[in-house]
Amino acid sequence: MPVRTWVNDGWTRRSLLTAAVAGLGLGATAACGIFDDEPPTPPDSDPLEPLLAGTIALADRYDATIAALPELTTRLTPVRDAHRTHATELARMIGKPLPSSSPAATSSAPADAAAAVAALRTAEQQAQRAAADACLAASAKRAPVLGSIAASRATHVEVLS
Amino acid sequence: MSDLPTALTAEHAAIFGYGIAGAHLTGAAQDAARAAEAAHRARRDALLLLLAGTPTSAPPAAPVYALPFPVTDGPSAMRLAIHLEERTAAVWQRTLGTTTGDQRRMSLDALTDCAVRATRWRKAAGVNPATVPLPGTT
Repeated sequence: MPVRTWVNDGWTRRSLLTAAVAGLGLGATAACGIFDDEPPTPPDSDPLEPLLAGTIALADRYDATIAALPELTTRLTPVRDAHRTHATELARMIGKPLPSSSPAATSSAPADAAAAVAALRTAEQQAQRAAADACLAASAKRAPVLGSIAASRATHVEVLS
Repeated sequence: MSDLPTALTAEHAAIFGYGIAGAHLTGAAQDAARAAEAAHRARRDALLLLLAGTPTSAPPAAPVYALPFPVTDGPSAMRLAIHLEERTAAVWQRTLGTTTGDQRRMSLDALTDCAVRATRWRKAAGVNPATVPLPGTT
């Protein structure tokens, strides 16, 4: 049925045959991966990927704030370290190496300590909700660690108050 | 099978422990102990209600619970409060893996509340840092 339509639209048998051969060629190229040592097609992205990316970004943001405002070092370092621990846990659950952070990509921290702490506090509240949502949607195996991450972020809000 | 009966036992013990801690605290710390005790009572009552609708039997409160160390003054009372919150947080954290839906949400809320109270007690007691990386796993 489709062949007739294409022919009626001006497709020739020859062009159809070419297209079919091209299709076979593509199939054969894709199949080569099975026999070569090419990396397999990446699996569907893990639902925790956005949480991992957000966690690394948040830790980088603490690094940037500490660099800009050294007087906050004592207060912020344990929180920054907690986010690094969370990133390690998330990467372990996803089953991939921990991506490297990119502090250069982060936006500059506010010049004023009070404003910087307030901004981090807001970020922690958003991050807490993201971790809580992930916990509620997760498998039984993942839920406890995700719950700990969400609870940890609630405690960060507390120490940034 | 959820860990909710275990969580109920932990809440019973926390309520008992806060009764001891509160007796050795004064001022704002005593107010905080009373508020924490009330929060644990509310959680206990919610659990009792929840378990009443299931075939799972609710463990009753014991008349007395062993304390992890002697509580004789304000500092040891604050240490007990930190201990109570950490231990209860650990039970709720495990419950997350055996529940779904509303029960998991209740477990997460409980874990979060315990973690925040533990942090407040550490701040009040001068424990630094006041946070732990993964509450409920310590």
